[in-house]
Amino acid sequence: MGQQCLRYQMQWEDLDEYQALTFLTRNEILCIHKTFLKLCPSQKHYKEATLTMDQVSSLPALRVNPFRDRICRVFSHNGVFSFEDVLGMASVFSEQACPSLKIEYAFRIYDFNENGFIDEEDLQKIVLRLLKSDDVSEDLLMDVTHHVLSESDLDNDNMLSFSEFEHAMAKSPDFMNSFRIHFWGC
Amino acid sequence: MAQPLTLVLNVPETTGDEDLEPSPYEESEVHDSFHRLIQEQSLLVAEEGLELLPLAPDRGYQTLPRPEGAPTHSTATLRILASMPSRTIGRSRGAIISEYYNRTVKLRRRSSRPLLGNMVRCARPSLRLYDLELDHTILEEDEKRSLLVKELQGLSVAQRDHMVRNMPLSLGEKRWLRENSWSPKGKRRGQQDRGGAFSCSSRLRYSCILALHSLGLVLVSGLYAARPWRYALKQIGGQFGSSVLSYFIFLKTLLAFNVLMLLPLLGFLVGVQAAFPPDPPDPVPTCSGLELLTGRGCFTHTVMYYGYYSNSTLSQSCDSSRDSGRCSPGSGSLPYNMPLAYLFTVGAAFFITCITLVYSMSHSFGESYRVGSTKGIHALTVFCSWDYKVTQKRASRVQQDSICTQLKELLAVWQLQKHPRSACGQLWQAAMLALGGLLCLGTTVGCAAAVFTFSEVMMQRGQGVELLALPLVVSALNLGASYLFCGLATLERHDSPVLEVYMAICRSLILKTAVLGVLCYHWLGRRVATLQDGCWENFVGQELYRFLVVDFIFTLLDSLFGELVWRLISEKKLKRRQKPEFDIARNVLDLIYGQTLTWLGVLFSPLLPAVQILRLLFLFYVKKASLMANCQAPRRPWLASHMSTVFLTLLCFPSFLGAAVFLCYAVWQVKPSSTCGPFRTLNTMYEAGTVWVRRLEHAGSRGSWLPWLHHLLVENTFFLFLVSALLLAVIYLNIQVVKGQRKVICLLKEQIRNEGEDKIFLINKLHSVYEGEQNRRQKHSSSKASRSLLFCRSSGQLSWRLLEGQGQFEILSLTLPSGFP
Repeated sequence: MGQQCLRYQMQWEDLDEYQALTFLTRNEILCIHKTFLKLCPSQKHYKEATLTMDQVSSLPALRVNPFRDRICRVFSHNGVFSFEDVLGMASVFSEQACPSLKIEYAFRIYDFNENGFIDEEDLQKIVLRLLKSDDVSEDLLMDVTHHVLSESDLDNDNMLSFSEFEHAMAKSPDFMNSFRIHFWGC
Repeated sequence: MAQPLTLVLNVPETTGDEDLEPSPYEESEVHDSFHRLIQEQSLLVAEEGLELLPLAPDRGYQTLPRPEGAPTHSTATLRILASMPSRTIGRSRGAIISEYYNRTVKLRRRSSRPLLGNMVRCARPSLRLYDLELDHTILEEDEKRSLLVKELQGLSVAQRDHMVRNMPLSLGEKRWLRENSWSPKGKRRGQQDRGGAFSCSSRLRYSCILALHSLGLVLVSGLYAARPWRYALKQIGGQFGSSVLSYFIFLKTLLAFNVLMLLPLLGFLVGVQAAFPPDPPDPVPTCSGLELLTGRGCFTHTVMYYGYYSNSTLSQSCDSSRDSGRCSPGSGSLPYNMPLAYLFTVGAAFFITCITLVYSMSHSFGESYRVGSTKGIHALTVFCSWDYKVTQKRASRVQQDSICTQLKELLAVWQLQKHPRSACGQLWQAAMLALGGLLCLGTTVGCAAAVFTFSEVMMQRGQGVELLALPLVVSALNLGASYLFCGLATLERHDSPVLEVYMAICRSLILKTAVLGVLCYHWLGRRVATLQDGCWENFVGQELYRFLVVDFIFTLLDSLFGELVWRLISEKKLKRRQKPEFDIARNVLDLIYGQTLTWLGVLFSPLLPAVQILRLLFLFYVKKASLMANCQAPRRPWLASHMSTVFLTLLCFPSFLGAAVFLCYAVWQVKPSSTCGPFRTLNTMYEAGTVWVRRLEHAGSRGSWLPWLHHLLVENTFFLFLVSALLLAVIYLNIQVVKGQRKVICLLKEQIRNEGEDKIFLINKLHSVYEGEQNRRQKHSSSKASRSLLFCRSSGQLSWRLLEGQGQFEILSLTLPSGFP
């Protein structure tokens, strides 16, 4: 046992309920359960145990993701992850999740300053995170943000509201393809 | 219109107002409701006081428009804007719940006319007055929640579960909603179980249903888990991203198509004929190892080829049917007309493949194409380019490089659009393109001519291993030419990198089509003529088998030399850590070429799809191993979903269409050989069908509708003209609809722009009005920090609290009716 949670088997009813409430398949839920048990502190039932944001950030699925801190912030409650929070996160990123759910959470993730809009500052942060190198010129940043806004900002207020973001993402099937994580440990 | 609110606005005229935009009062004829609302506000301002709270020192409230015309708002204003009803999705739980309440209501009341109060937001605020009147209270979160629960109870179980799953709430809240929205009938049933005579049986029934349900779930998840290569695909996706994954998914799709085609062939042709084997020819050829390559020898007289199939009606009373005559059908035997079965099965297999292919292509096209979607590529790049599937550090670095390159190239393209090339540069580019095109055309024509002459030469010889010469030459030409075209595309230096890839694909495709066309002519034209007394169908089937095998060998060699050896050379000799890229376009074209060969050969060799299945299985493992060991993801940006659509389209249009044309020509026009196969006594293969229809006509009344149908649909050309005309009309209508949708989209964009300007105007106006108020008050009561609250309710929807302290104020909470933009 050691560092692991007490090995409580998930009850049938719980498994059925999670299957009904999330977009995950049975195998995926069991897999996440296994991964959670490996990480959570000992002597606790999996329903009461919590993981810190650092622990979730270091999962193999999120380790190299440049937005992992934002993902952890959006999906956690009070700075910690319960088992159901992890399930909710996996459900949004699963293959079967509907586009509207993915778009809503993507908007929350990309809104760095949490003011309800994706403005220029957010866009610049996104581009910097995507490129992650130090030799990104100011011109490149300004040009990219300017072009993104001129294409997607429909009401000319220099920021993207949720409906504008939704409109831009609904036009792109690549968003559904790339906003997907399906490897949570097994 | 609603009853007018009799309020008077008492705002003193400020001097700066004359040269600003026209005030709402002057527009009162048009925007009646704004006028009234503002009047109402100001009256209540006059009646009640202003509550003032101290302001944080760093918050300004600048709403001066920027030079480009876009405003900057203070954080406070931004927060208010973010709490507007149209923006609160994802922000507050109450908003989510009320939104989903609305959606559930719409779902339930879909059949009836929508209530005016539930109308979609529209620009004209006059219509929103209905909303203002109906909603007299701002609902608390609990009330909203109970309303939502009540609505969910009205839905069916599946819809309810779907609704709950889609909500962006935490799992605990979803559980609460789900538990509370179990229908009262279910609760009553549960209560009944506690007592009463039926409790035992109903409990048993309930537990049976539950067990079946769980079993069903287990089965479905078992099927899901047993999907072939699930883990391998996850591994590839995690390490190389979506673009390389699309190649392997395409391979899997091809496998599915082949299995789909093989099943009817196995069931209706191979199985039946294997149960009634014809006499073996003498001498019986012995099996040497060469059969696997050439397809001749002991493979010739097996179910694998056309010549094995009998041309008479098989029935159980006579196991060995001869060419002449038919056995008398005994009692209890099922006569099986082999020629008819052959024709219909091959036709049905092709038809099913066609339908499946067209359906998947249109489905994929529908997902990846949006009306007016050619713009907006920049937002897509920024938000979609990070592939969340990638879990390896090395792959994430490759992704970053690729995104950087992509952004820089896009910027270059935008620069070019802004400052197009000079006439000299454009001329030079056109000259380069023309030269490249000519070179490719020359290569294509040269290859086709080479294949033409070589096949003629090989016609004279041709036993044993020499038969492999033609496939070897064709495969070598294909490989060489595709490398040449790739190199040419990089030299040409197109403006857009995606165009480069498309050009390379097009050129390779044209070459392969030309070569295959020459080969088809060679088989159906010349070979038929020379082998009239032999069994030319067997020969064509064997040729296609040889082509498949040699192409497979060449693909393996290409993997070996193109990837493994190149990596070894680049690591040892050139000392670079760069692995060769996995060339997706070339690999996919190879797959499509192999599938075309299979489809061409199905008529002459019903087991050819099985050979292709084996080939694809081997190819998957070889390519995967080579990819993991030797390659890296491509640096060029690949829009994976567009690529899947392109691959499927290429599979459908040149590949399947060409094979279908070949099949139709072979069935309708070519005389089958007279010594072998199920059509040996007929003039064309199609005659088997017409002969049967004639027989039915003569036979009697029972099957008489079939000849009539046949005469009406197939022999009468009017029906075909009618169907084609209808199809063209439908296509034209759809084009017009799309055009209309584009126009509507332009109008809506214009409208949204206007709404945005309205919003900025209103915010500025409101700020200036209350700044004026505040200045006025400061003048009157400068020393006192009066605290008063302005709370304005107009029909319950407009509440506006101004909190002010020490000469500055901030708008803390502003909930406007959702008619405001």
